[in-house]
Amino acid sequence: MANIAAQRIKREFKEVIRSEEVAKCAIKVELVDNNYTELKGEIAGPPDTPYEGGNFVLEIKVPETYPFNPPKVRFITKIWHPNISSVTGAICLDILKDQWAAAMTLRTVLLSLQALLAAAEPDDPQDAVVARQYKENLEMFKLTARHWTNAYAGGPSVNPECDDKIKRLVDMGIEEHQARVALSSYNWDLERATEQLFS
Amino acid sequence: MGYEINRFQGEVDEELICPICSAVLEDPLQAPECEHVFCKACISQWVARQPTCPVDRQTLTSAQLTQVPRILRNLLARLMINCDNAQYGCTRVLNLDSLSIHLEECEHNPKRPVLCEQGCALVIPQDELKDHNCIKELRTLITKQQQKMNEYQLEFHELRYFILEQRREMQLLKDFMRALKTSNPSMRAIADAMDRDAQDREVVRWSGSLQRARVTRWGGMISTPDDALQRMIKRTLTEMGCPIHILDDLMENCHECRWPPGLCSLETRQNNRRQYENYVCKRVPGKQAVLVLHCDNQHMGEDMMIEPGLVMIFAHGVE
Ligand SMILES: [Zn+2]
Ligand SMILES: [Zn+2]
Ligand SMILES: [Zn+2]
Ligand SMILES: [Zn+2]
Ligand SMILES: [Zn+2]
Repeated sequence: MANIAAQRIKREFKEVIRSEEVAKCAIKVELVDNNYTELKGEIAGPPDTPYEGGNFVLEIKVPETYPFNPPKVRFITKIWHPNISSVTGAICLDILKDQWAAAMTLRTVLLSLQALLAAAEPDDPQDAVVARQYKENLEMFKLTARHWTNAYAGGPSVNPECDDKIKRLVDMGIEEHQARVALSSYNWDLERATEQLFS
Repeated sequence: MGYEINRFQGEVDEELICPICSAVLEDPLQAPECEHVFCKACISQWVARQPTCPVDRQTLTSAQLTQVPRILRNLLARLMINCDNAQYGCTRVLNLDSLSIHLEECEHNPKRPVLCEQGCALVIPQDELKDHNCIKELRTLITKQQQKMNEYQLEFHELRYFILEQRREMQLLKDFMRALKTSNPSMRAIADAMDRDAQDREVVRWSGSLQRARVTRWGGMISTPDDALQRMIKRTLTEMGCPIHILDDLMENCHECRWPPGLCSLETRQNNRRQYENYVCKRVPGKQAVLVLHCDNQHMGEDMMIEPGLVMIFAHGVE
């Protein structure tokens, strides 16, 4: 790994660990390998959002050309958000692409991602299905996002009705995650979700 | 990339850290508006990718970068840093601004060039000295040079072949020209004219290469030089690269019996003395003689000049 990248990551790693956000348990970062090319990040879902109470794990890959190019970040924890792929965890965020600046750090990246959870940008979507739901039926979106936060990020349980619908599909032999995706995509309409799954 | 922060004694102020490499600033440059400061290498690499300030993303091109304030440079210069060769045993800790001078002479630099004193006298990096073997080293040198020589030899053979080829072609052309000339009279006229032209050009070129001479005492002119004197001048002209086709004519024109009407007798010379100064003369190195070439002296009247020129020999008075 290029000297400058390793040097930077070492320092930023310490910066995150020492930061006040860590003290408040809002962000966290861990080493995956010893040469600072891959890290594991973690952000807490911001309060007053459907992600509150959840913990979201991120994969952070540091390119050889860091900090001249941004780190490659994706969500490992499954999440329902217009700017994050519900399938791959890929993120659509300008600072991770053309708006990256060399002085940005792991800390600013994690805090920006947290801000993204609090303020989605449905007009620049990564996940078209989620973005459509967000624009057409905000309450339905919030319900779904909260449900995913409960299912995957350790958030509080909220709507037993949803769990019920998933259980019915699972009983029909559908894998749980697949059932959740189908129901989420069809605004929790059990009939349409079933139709799609068996077509 | 700046200097690693753990090489410094004591705390280093945040202001002296490059936001790109997060090390201590090396050759710092500053953005004009926001005054953010970076290592020269770091910011150059960044703006080459994207013309913005890496901190606040204001527009920034490499042409806009300026020197940092002297106070910042002083702060940097005063920082105490350890030597690059600390891991090889150098214990020096010095001011950042004297680091580069020290590095040039640091004895602990493993790559410091040293002279082998075991016999081969080659200059080698210090860390290679212990495994160094003069004979082996010299052998590699010989092999390398042998290789070079073989290459040159090959090239030489190729060139020689090429020259032979050219010479053959040239001969063919000459034969062809000769045949043309003999079979066609108008062709011969053209060829002769071309020959003369080429010869004239050669004389002009030669004359251009000669230095001007100044005759201070025209009275010292020897109008009837003897054979020995003539041979000596002729030899010098040959050494000067005189075109072969005018050499004999020129030499014959060193005696008054061949000079133009205005010069050929004592009496006419007396009459035309005032025109001497108008001659353009060329030096004959080391000799009390000058060359007065026709091509340099077309401004002189017909009775003062002849083709292809004349040689004037003096007893003294040539500079
Ligand atoms: Zn700036
Ligand atoms: Zn730097
Ligand atoms: Zn040293
Ligand atoms: Zn030697
Ligand atoms: Zn031997």
